[in-house]
Amino acid sequence: MNAAIRIAREEWRQWRRSRLAVAALTIFGVLLIVTSVLTAGDMLDARQDRLHQQAHAEATFLDQPARHPHRMVHYGHYVFRAPAPLAVFDPGVDAVTGQSVFLEGHRQNGAMFADARAQARAGGFGDLSPAALYHLFLPLLLIAIGHAVILREREARTLGPLLSQGVTGRQLYAGKSLALLAMIGLLSVPALIASLSAIPMGEPVSTALGLYAGQLLYLCVWGALIVLVSAIVRSRGVALGLLLLVWFVTALIIPRIGVTAVGTSLPADGKIVSDMRMKEDIRKAGDGHNAADPAFAQLRANMLAEYGVDTVEELPVNFRGVVASTAEARLTDTLNDYAEQRMARERAQSDGLSAFGWLSPYIAVGAASRALAGTDLATHHRFLREAEGVRFDFVQGLNAVHAEQLAYSDDINRSSDPQAERRTRVDPKNWKVLRDFRFTPDTADVRIARAADSLLALTVWLFALIGLGLWAARRMSP
Amino acid sequence: MIRELRFLLRDRAAMLWIALAFILSATAVTLGLAEVRQQQAELAEIDRLDRADRAQVLSEQSDWGGAAYSTFHLTSDPPSDFAFAALGQRDVSPWKHRIRMLALEGQIYETDATNPDFALTGRFDFAFVAALIAPLLLILLLFDLRSGERAAGRLELIEASGAGAKRVWRTRTILRVGGLAVALILPLWIGGAVAGTSVFTLLAAALAVTLYLAFWAWLSRTAGSAAHTGSVNLTILLGLWLLICAVIPAMLTQAIDGAVPLPDGGDIVLTQREAVNDAWDLPKDATMSAFLDRHPEWEAQSGIDRPFEWKWYYAFQQVGDQTVEPLSRAYREGRAERDRLVGFASLVSPATALQRGLERLAETDVRASLAYEARVRDYHARLRAWHYPNLFEDRDFSVKDADGLPAFDSGDAT
Amino acid sequence: MTIAAPAIVVDDLHVSRAGSPVLHGVSFEVPAGSVYALLGGNGAGKSTTLLTLLGFLQPSGGSARVLEHNVAADTAAVRQSVAYLPEAATLYPHLSAYENLDYFLDLAGAGVDQGAVDATLDRVALQAEARGRRMETYSKGMRQKVAIALALLRDTPVLLLDEPTSGLDPVAIDEFNALVRSLSDEGRTVLMVTHDVYGACQVADRIGLLRRGRMVGTFDAPEGARIDTETVHSAFTGRSAA
Repeated sequence: MNAAIRIAREEWRQWRRSRLAVAALTIFGVLLIVTSVLTAGDMLDARQDRLHQQAHAEATFLDQPARHPHRMVHYGHYVFRAPAPLAVFDPGVDAVTGQSVFLEGHRQNGAMFADARAQARAGGFGDLSPAALYHLFLPLLLIAIGHAVILREREARTLGPLLSQGVTGRQLYAGKSLALLAMIGLLSVPALIASLSAIPMGEPVSTALGLYAGQLLYLCVWGALIVLVSAIVRSRGVALGLLLLVWFVTALIIPRIGVTAVGTSLPADGKIVSDMRMKEDIRKAGDGHNAADPAFAQLRANMLAEYGVDTVEELPVNFRGVVASTAEARLTDTLNDYAEQRMARERAQSDGLSAFGWLSPYIAVGAASRALAGTDLATHHRFLREAEGVRFDFVQGLNAVHAEQLAYSDDINRSSDPQAERRTRVDPKNWKVLRDFRFTPDTADVRIARAADSLLALTVWLFALIGLGLWAARRMSP
Repeated sequence: MIRELRFLLRDRAAMLWIALAFILSATAVTLGLAEVRQQQAELAEIDRLDRADRAQVLSEQSDWGGAAYSTFHLTSDPPSDFAFAALGQRDVSPWKHRIRMLALEGQIYETDATNPDFALTGRFDFAFVAALIAPLLLILLLFDLRSGERAAGRLELIEASGAGAKRVWRTRTILRVGGLAVALILPLWIGGAVAGTSVFTLLAAALAVTLYLAFWAWLSRTAGSAAHTGSVNLTILLGLWLLICAVIPAMLTQAIDGAVPLPDGGDIVLTQREAVNDAWDLPKDATMSAFLDRHPEWEAQSGIDRPFEWKWYYAFQQVGDQTVEPLSRAYREGRAERDRLVGFASLVSPATALQRGLERLAETDVRASLAYEARVRDYHARLRAWHYPNLFEDRDFSVKDADGLPAFDSGDAT
Repeated sequence: MTIAAPAIVVDDLHVSRAGSPVLHGVSFEVPAGSVYALLGGNGAGKSTTLLTLLGFLQPSGGSARVLEHNVAADTAAVRQSVAYLPEAATLYPHLSAYENLDYFLDLAGAGVDQGAVDATLDRVALQAEARGRRMETYSKGMRQKVAIALALLRDTPVLLLDEPTSGLDPVAIDEFNALVRSLSDEGRTVLMVTHDVYGACQVADRIGLLRRGRMVGTFDAPEGARIDTETVHSAFTGRSAA
């Protein structure tokens, strides 16, 4: 192994003395650092803003004056999703999903105001995050620096003397790999710092280090590929062309073609279409504003029988409130059915896309990175579900107030009788049915489990490439 | 020239990259056409459902207020006949809205979004291939043009032939750039013929792509010297590609977004909601006088006697929109201003310029998206103008009269 | 000539590269302490023979032994006792002669002190002022000298040299020939492949003429004299010998 270390050290000396390698490394290093700082700044600002907006939205809701409880159902509430701490490294889907949802009665709104819509559209690859640099562009730097690690020996005719004086092919392979590994280690330092900086913000150590390990694994896949090509190919032009072709196909082409392939094989209805289909279903559930809707006849009969009275006016509770509550529950079932269907379809699409990770390490590392950072689609879906939970709870809390604290006769006359209208306003202390909402990422094990498949794909890639490399190294000759 | 062409045809690496360009361009065009067809099919389907739904809803109404509350109206921005080449903003911005007569500001920011993982990955369209992939292929075609001859020991031989040498390089460069351009543009033109794109658009796109490739050829010639080895040249050119296709556009986005701050989108919706909900508790005169500022013609009919009347309800919806108008306008103007600055910036960022140019031709850029939003606003205003007489003059509802509801003009003949 | 046991024995060697046969039953012996030149034109199979002796190519028939070690089976032992100088070896251009030698000797497991390095560089006549400079500034002859020094410093009993004089000027060639003779005088065995008839005759005790993978002639130096250039030249070029 001593020989391997000596060979690795020599490779480093060569890089240090190559103006091009030093320049490329310096420029890329600056780019990485600048991007990391900018992304971290944006994320921390967004985090603070969202937490602040959340607190503000809750305070505003609680500060509302006395009014009819159903008015508060329509007044609604906002929930915000603060970016996960590891979004400083990989903002994931945050930019395209929007991070706030308006909650109101009878409706499930989507997340609004995705940054991507309002951004200046300057083309290129869009916003650069540290993750984008690591996944998309760092392999290019590794290719530029590393494609000749073994080829150079061949060109300088030093491969013969090296191999003929007792250095084995495997030692050479190990030494060159070690050199590239050290380079990868150096280049991964910004990722390590970004990951570690999330820990004080409440990120578990395991996911922070897991995220870093995922990047390392991905870069090592590239390192192993580069050393392999450098060992088996006999000209630099061919080696560079081959490596660039692999980069091209795995990082630029397969992912985008994968999107179209999955989108075609698992088409998802747009929200408008599914909303219209849903409307049909909802009509059957009845309009909760209209207690005379025939859909509630059965409910009315049941309640009259239960309390042993003849008219809804005699009920001890406000029948309108009961209807509102029942209708909301039925409606929510339907809404949730559709929402779950839509999310299941999106999840199936994303899983389909992730499956391309077996063909493209770029896809695998993207999926793993977003899952570990808590910025993936699954996390966004959980946010939507939790938001729905908040929505349903406060709406039903208000409906309970509606049923228990309002007189039916006042309630039906409030549109025409100002006195009755005044009596239907309830005290603001009832607004406390709203619960606090602070979105937190999934626990570490959940996220790690979600990343497992993609990490496995990367590991298989790595071992396959190392296996091939060792095989090629054993047969190496000048 | 013919001899050089024969050389090129026999150069296996060069033919590989040119063939790859053709395959990628053809794939992108095919996928783009499929996407556009899918969008058209979805619009047709929504249009059908929308008509059926509106007819059904209208048949259940008893007054104009309820009818206006319950009927949705489909607006859409159908893909242009060149959208297949550059899907552009359509992945993140809405190109269909169903709106009703409530406050528009509460509706217009909804997005019928695609899978976020898809939007994150990006589309494989012609604009992507031409702006980001083609330069790479060109670099691969040109980086070793002279350094390769040097490595093979022929450089001096060619250079020694004097005046002819310059012509050899020029011919070789032109043939490679031309081959690449043809490989890219041919599928585009075939796609254009299928989609019925105008000849002018196709020619303009071809010209833009050719100019862009010429820029890259010039850059390869300038940056890549025969004195370096091929791999040094390639590394330098890859660095330039990274700079021009990724770093500069990202920096421009950062800088422009920083220079033109937008109102927080959440604030618009929040303010609008407060305004609409507060109106329930305000004296009705306050709402009506704010409404009359815009619609003095209804002064005579603006008295509200009962706790709830539809005309008051729609008046405060409109007042809600009026309240956030400054914010909403700032938001729109900010986006337009950002887009204008990108226009200037594209003078120094060729990749931006090409993508922007293609999206302009395809009407999938920010300008087109803002124009669609303006058409939706305009339509919503016409909807209000149509309904107000019914509400303020307290006309009786009739399904037949509802046939006269204004229809959205998608502004596109297709 | 001495009658010591041969250092290299090649017996009916058949080798194929990329599926096509290159050597069709080549046989020769190199006596220990002698200089043997394997002479042949382009594509005769000279380099293939060297690479097979080093264990980089596997014989498809016949055998080759270096100091009694079978090159196919006992590659490590062969390489331990052999120094190899490839054609146009440049070593690392970004390193100085000292750094290159230090690196390669370290990898070869040969502990060599600075005094021995300088003595050897003196012996190959590399200017002292150049030794600390990066080799990218060296002339071809200077690079060759460092590569030879490396082979010498490994202090192996056998040296395999691939076209060692190609591209060198006449002065450098003379220096080189003298060096090779002195190695032989020290008792080392030298096998060089070359297409330079004159050079081979100047330095070799025995010349084997290789043509299209077959040994077509052997020439021994008469006692106390060099091989006659004319004879070899006409055998090499003349169709009469074929």
